[in-house]
This record gives sequence, C-alpha cells and structure tokens, in this order.
Amino acid sequence: MVLTERQNDALTELINIAFARTGAALSELTGHRVLLDSPSVALHLASELDKSLSRFVPGEVAWIHQVFHGPVAGDALLLLNYEGAVHLTELLTDESNDSNRLDESAREVLTEVGNILLNACLGVFGNVLHVHVGFSVPRLRLDTIKDLIAWLNRGRGELRYALVVFTRFQIKESQVNGYLVLVLNMDAFDRLVKEIDEWIEENNGRQNINS
Amino acid sequence: MSGKVMVVDDSAMSRRTLRRILESANYEVIEADDGMAALEKYFLEKPDLVMLDMLMKGMYGLEVLAKLREMNKDARVVIVSADIQNSTREMAKEAGALDFINKPFAAESVLNIVTRILSEETRPNGIDREAE
Repeated sequence: MVLTERQNDALTELINIAFARTGAALSELTGHRVLLDSPSVALHLASELDKSLSRFVPGEVAWIHQVFHGPVAGDALLLLNYEGAVHLTELLTDESNDSNRLDESAREVLTEVGNILLNACLGVFGNVLHVHVGFSVPRLRLDTIKDLIAWLNRGRGELRYALVVFTRFQIKESQVNGYLVLVLNMDAFDRLVKEIDEWIEENNGRQNINS
Repeated sequence: MSGKVMVVDDSAMSRRTLRRILESANYEVIEADDGMAALEKYFLEKPDLVMLDMLMKGMYGLEVLAKLREMNKDARVVIVSADIQNSTREMAKEAGALDFINKPFAAESVLNIVTRILSEETRPNGIDREAE
C-alpha cells in the first residue's frame, strides 16, 4: 500500500490534530503543561511491526488496547515506556511510587488514562472524517514488544496494516515515550484512505495543508 | 443546592474524582461500577441524577440509559465519556441524556451542569448545547 504525497500529507495533518487533542487531554489530566514532539508516522505490515517498534525501549512496556469498530475498524494501542507509565500514574495520583512498579491501583488509573487518550485521538479521526468510531472496553497489559506483536497477530491470516505514530510527551521535566498503533485490515485501510481523499476534497479550497 | 447523584463508571479513578467534585458542593454521592449495579441502586436509592459512563464492562452506557428510562421515563441522566465524537453526543441526545461531559472534566463544568439540571423542575428535552 503506497499513499500519494497528498494522502500522506493529509494523514500526517490528521494525526497532528489528533495528537494535539491527546496532549491537551493529558495536560488536563495531570494539571501540567505537556510538551509534545511532532509525531512521526510510519506504515508497516502488521507482521513487520517490530521494525518500527524496535526503536522502543527494551523490556516491559505498558500498553492499553481497545478494539474500535464502525466503517473504519481495527485495533488501537497506546504503548508507554514502563518508567514513563509509572511517572504518569505518580502525576495523576499525586503519590510517589518508590517501588517503581505498577500495582493494581496504578494499572487501573493507567487503563482509564489510555481510554481517554485513545478516545481523544481516534475521536478526532471520527469527527474530521465524518465516520462514527465505536470502542471496546480498554484493557491494560504489561509485556515485551515481542510478546505484544505476537499477541496482535495471533490467529490472523489476513493482511493487515499498522499505522504507527511515535511521539514523546514531556510532562513536568520527565519524559514519557509513547507509541500509538492502529492496526487495520485491507478493507478498513481502503476505507480510511477513501475518507482521507474526501477530506482532501473538502479542503480543496484551502490547499495549504500545514504540517 | 442539594441532591443525590449516582456516579456510574467502571473506573475507580473517575468515580473518585467525580465524588470529590460533587461532595465539595454538598451533593450526596452514591457509586456503581457497572450497569447492573447501577440499575439496582437506581431502584433502591432513587437518585436525583445519574452520571453515566459510556464504555463499561458488561453493559454499555446507552443500554443502561435505555433501561433507566424504562424504569423511570423522567430519569435524569448525564453521560460522562472520553468519546469526543459529535456522532456519539448525538446518539446520547437521541437516547434521552440531558447533557454530555467529556473526560477529562473540569470541576466547574461538572458542577455547572449538575446544578442546572437539578434546579430545573421539569425535564428538558435532551442535550441542546455544544460541548463544554
């Protein structure tokens, strides 16, 4: 699957808007200013996801998963480096976590944060592209990247694409590394591209799609 | 202003936050962590207002809303959700929700909505405002 330059520009702009909303939600949650790196976007076959995610820290990551459904359906994942996830829960609970482990209470907080951030991001997709996106209940897992990819591709014979967006949130002088991964099958990806084309048409009068 | 508010959310974090906000304004708060518990508590406790999450294990918020409206056609329900889509807001409105609050929420916004709804004598016709 190859996107044209205009489609790629539009997709990048859509993700910029979505991440700005996500960053704002994170700022509201933590009560701190959130500095957001410009997100980088890559498209991979789901089976080759490790190429992109290998840049991520080794060891365990905290990831929140939601299935999304509707005209554009798939799996949405928010991945946070473990240390960043611990720090995020400290900011949200105003409690210091000396153990540096994510206990049950911290996991519960993190699951809700993932729900809010994934909704903030995918909700922008829904609003801008005029498609309704429904969500499953979020689930948190702690795994290595390798186990995550194996889980994601389990029992999947179909060709699926993974849209990987990497960014860094800086909150209160600490860095939280985050990946957003959207995994779509061919039909869903075609539909996403079609909606993006329509969005480009809508914006034809204003051809400057800013990055 | 007084009143009994039931907070329905499977996230303990969200329940805690809403409880803190509502109790700071002297509202009585009861909690339910899923749809079934919400229906039972609604029947037993007869809250003046329900603040209902959309996405919960077991029963989704809009299903809970429909069942609450079967129990009491004048049930006052505000949806509290992370879903920012306009289409979701429309669905909640059509289902009879009085308002829609996006997570993460601001205390002032929550209290404004709760106070307004509980001060109304008759039930207005659903969400008619833009997002807070």
